[in-house]
Amino acid sequence: MKILVLILYTFRELLSRATLVVLAGISTLVIALTMLSISMSESSEGVTLQMFGNPISPPLPADAVGEFVRTSQVGLSKGLFIGIIFLGVFATAGIVPATLRKGTIDLYLSKPLGRWELLLGKCLGAIAVMFVNVLYFIGAIWLTYGVKVGVWNSGFLFSSFSITFVFACLYSLIAFLAVLSRGSPIPIIGAFLYLFVIGGLLESREQVLYLISENTLYRSLIDGLYYVMPQISAMQAGITNQIMETSINWKPFVQSILSAGLFFGVGVAVLSRRDF
Amino acid sequence: MIAIAAESLSKTYTTGLVRKQRINALIDFSLHVEAGQIFGLLGPNGAGKTTFIKTLLSLVHPTSGKVHVLETRLPNTRIRSRIGYLPENHRFPGYLTGEQVLLYFGQLSGVGRSDVKSRITPLLELVGMSQWRRMKVRRYSKGMMQRIGLAQALINDPEVIFLDEPTDGVDPVGRKEIRDILQNLKRQGKTIFLNSHLLSEVELISDRVAILDKGRLLTTGTVDELTAGGYQYQIGIEGTLADTVRNEASAMVMNIQVNGNTLSAELKTTAELNRLIDLLRRNNIPITSIIKKRDTLEDSFINLIKREVAS
Ligand SMILES: Nc1ncnc2c1ncn2[C@@H]1O[C@H](COP(=O)(O)OP(=O)(O)OP(=O)(O)O)[C@@H](O)[C@H]1O
Ligand SMILES: [Mg+2]
Repeated sequence: MKILVLILYTFRELLSRATLVVLAGISTLVIALTMLSISMSESSEGVTLQMFGNPISPPLPADAVGEFVRTSQVGLSKGLFIGIIFLGVFATAGIVPATLRKGTIDLYLSKPLGRWELLLGKCLGAIAVMFVNVLYFIGAIWLTYGVKVGVWNSGFLFSSFSITFVFACLYSLIAFLAVLSRGSPIPIIGAFLYLFVIGGLLESREQVLYLISENTLYRSLIDGLYYVMPQISAMQAGITNQIMETSINWKPFVQSILSAGLFFGVGVAVLSRRDF
Repeated sequence: MIAIAAESLSKTYTTGLVRKQRINALIDFSLHVEAGQIFGLLGPNGAGKTTFIKTLLSLVHPTSGKVHVLETRLPNTRIRSRIGYLPENHRFPGYLTGEQVLLYFGQLSGVGRSDVKSRITPLLELVGMSQWRRMKVRRYSKGMMQRIGLAQALINDPEVIFLDEPTDGVDPVGRKEIRDILQNLKRQGKTIFLNSHLLSEVELISDRVAILDKGRLLTTGTVDELTAGGYQYQIGIEGTLADTVRNEASAMVMNIQVNGNTLSAELKTTAELNRLIDLLRRNNIPITSIIKKRDTLEDSFINLIKREVAS
């Protein structure tokens, strides 16, 4: 009940920020362009997809249209993913620090509200906002392709859940860094550093990080770190499979939810011990 | 019933990662507050007043000792639904309006949405904020913030109310209004615990007060008990006092001060007063007025802190 109140007001807090409006605006623009421009023409050679009347595909046999649509949906989902990560991180990284500010945290914690409950409510609020945005984008694109091209790709629709899931895993890291640093710069830097440098290094640790030393302790530390962190790019590959409706490797998802639980748990522990 | 009880409470803050610094904010602090009272906690800056309130809300973890609120051992999350709190320098989320603040924090205190809604209007009325209810709190003035903060502390109809400098930044009329609100709450049987620097104000409303300095409880009692003993007399005279008379008076009574046409003295007994009057009359000094003033809480506070510094 109180968690719902927290989620609702976090929603409101985010709506008052420009970053989220930009994200929603870009989504709307892409949706509108897709809706207006996509069309289909049939000829004796097959089906041709068009954008603003210009063909964007060769004439396709009827059974290849689905494949073509799915591939373009993968492209759109990758674009959305980058948008969500970039603008989403900027928009939401400040949520937890704002809650922990001197003078504000006193108000929250004087209520019959556990510290874990407060952190959970705030995180779920940020994640819920992202979910709405993702669902809005994916849902509208899915509908457009369904109505205009006749391809109803349920994998694409369900990818809105997995994209939000990836964001949630990343957010556990952001919230953890926010609790530690009580500001938003470190969570933002940490998230991007992980996404673009550390995550990649860990993924290809056998080719890169292993070369630094042959020390087994060092190598098991690197391995340990790899398994503790969320598996962003492996999950992204899973999302591509989901949209292409090919088989998905769920292992990275399971591993990442454990990682998210760990970061959240440590975050709560740190928060609980603190004096305000 | 004892509404608030602290038993040998100590709090040591440790700050700094590398060079650790320890601050003893509360040292073996014991205090009991009866339900239905207005209790004032006084002390100089950094005495530990805020720290004490924060331990009662589990915002700060005590280093040792026991704390009970409403006969419940802390820490306890649920008991906070029966407590109201106005923090010092509180900051509400700026994107909310005054009434949204009450709705939000009211729901977080465990009151149902419709109940909160029905309480908002009378509470805003009570603290004199009705006309600013739809303004974003980020545009509020200091006094407006304080008033909405008080309303927020009362939104769950609490049994115990903690107020940290409630009249800070509020204009004189507003301060009187707040005092009236507190008196009224007391009449409804609420327990009010307040921290304040404004001794004259605390004196006006508190049933009991405690004085805290450097983490230690110096004294506790009713305002009468704390101010008992000393009286100040101010004697108005015509003309000025000759030096010889003045020296003679100083020899006779302690703490005599001459300020233009007024002579102030701290006197233990009325016999002393009469001797002083005799002296003045003998020297043909016309007396125009005699005013008897009880020591204020401020006087005893300053004396107590001074003695503490001296020892
Ligand atoms: N979170 C904290 N970390 C470290 N030290 C703290 C913390 N909060 C308070 N202190 C220290 O504890 C002591 C008591 O502070 P406290 O805020 O309780 O005083 P106070 O009586 O409320 O003062 P004031 O009248 O100025 O509000 C001070 O020396 C202060 O520096
Ligand atoms: Mg204080």
